Amino acid sequence: MARRIPRHVLAVALLLAGCAAPAPTGRLQGVVVEDPTPKPSFVLTDTAGERYDFAARTDGKLTLLFFGYTSCPDICPVQLSQIAEVLQQMPDVAARTEVVFVGVDWERDTPERIRSYLDRIDPRFVGLTGAPEELRAAQEAAGVPPAFIEDGTVAHASWVIAYAPDGLNRTIYPFGTRQATWRNDLPILAAMGEEGRR
Amino acid sequence: MAELPLAAISWWCTATGRPWTWSWIPYPGVWLAVAVPLVAYLRATSRRPPDRRRRVAFIAGMAVFWVASDWPLGTLGAGYLASAHMTQFLLYTLGAAPLLLLGIPEDLATRMLGRLTDGVRRLGRSPILCGVVYNLLLLVTHSPPAVETLRRSQVGSFTMDLVWMAAGFVLWLPILSPLAEGRPRTVAARMAYLFAATAVVAVIPASLLTFADTPVYEIYELAPRVWGLSARADQQLAGIVMKLGTIPVVWGTLGTMWFRWASRERPADRLGTPPR
Repeated sequence: MARRIPRHVLAVALLLAGCAAPAPTGRLQGVVVEDPTPKPSFVLTDTAGERYDFAARTDGKLTLLFFGYTSCPDICPVQLSQIAEVLQQMPDVAARTEVVFVGVDWERDTPERIRSYLDRIDPRFVGLTGAPEELRAAQEAAGVPPAFIEDGTVAHASWVIAYAPDGLNRTIYPFGTRQATWRNDLPILAAMGEEGRR
Repeated sequence: MAELPLAAISWWCTATGRPWTWSWIPYPGVWLAVAVPLVAYLRATSRRPPDRRRRVAFIAGMAVFWVASDWPLGTLGAGYLASAHMTQFLLYTLGAAPLLLLGIPEDLATRMLGRLTDGVRRLGRSPILCGVVYNLLLLVTHSPPAVETLRRSQVGSFTMDLVWMAAGFVLWLPILSPLAEGRPRTVAARMAYLFAATAVVAVIPASLLTFADTPVYEIYELAPRVWGLSARADQQLAGIVMKLGTIPVVWGTLGTMWFRWASRERPADRLGTPPR
């Protein structure tokens, strides 16, 4: 006959289970895009002052695109740090991933300022900027509402757009996405479409 | 005269999601929580003042409670850093609680106990029960659901801090109870109790925090970053604080107990009295 587990033992086990990180599920946990859209085409200026053709330079790579600004006090540093921390633990995925940050605060975000900002988070991240009309076109091409500046505050899209190596936007990650989700999704996304390329 | 916006006042530290700044935030609830017990203690002991050591211990205990609860540590612990949260826990349970117990004279403790229920009095007389209750409170208050729920409101955050203080009292009662009835009779039993109560179960959450691949507490993971500290590094620091932070207090207490016991036994040995 099966023995019953004492209630107090069960309670402690449940508590400890609550402390453990969720195991990878094999399914995407981000917000899955029902009809994946292709990677947008736009050209901006990178932090070295060179022109950066987004679609061409990220071709065949898992690409995480985020529109933010360097003076952002909360959303941008948390979103970028979350990705950086997870990629640090997954060097094989990191090698196949391009994280592109587009600074939408055209008044303050110079290439130098963006580089210095990204270097504090992850020096591998690509930083882009451009003229207001270029930035607007890039955001529209990516399907996000264009940012606007009001009283020094920048209103911008707070989600990260993920393009698998096959060039399709598979998922988006709103602010509040936890590292466990990134850790689960990045290897899955990195593997998408790679088979077809081999 | 302008009406005082009581609802707008932050009475107790809580998670706000706002970026961290070094701008001071007043928490009148914390000041009240420090002032009321202090005044009550001074009034209760005014007729028969305890010796200086007890008074100093009580005041020091309230000072530690204040430091742990008020800005900046209270604010950081409530909504920004898991490591600050853990430091608060240690200050409450290993700093404030034992000092306050040391500061309560026996007659005051007797009067206070007279107002408590039998259940609470029984708890104070059973070291095993104290150890179990302390460790259960430790596990429950460090579980993600409890932290996420309680730290998001002032009442919840206050409750968590209060529970930690209560946990500290429960932990130290068998060692520092102002009444002799609750303490284990032998020094060895007291030392064994303190070691077992503090060094065994605490390793589990401390190890989970230190070695987890991803942050455990959402509230600290998604909080605005402080001093560029990553969420995972902060959590690892919290685990290390929990693991190593107990060492100075617990091992210091064990060492003091041991040397006091040894110094008491030595003259008896010389006189040929068998050790007890």
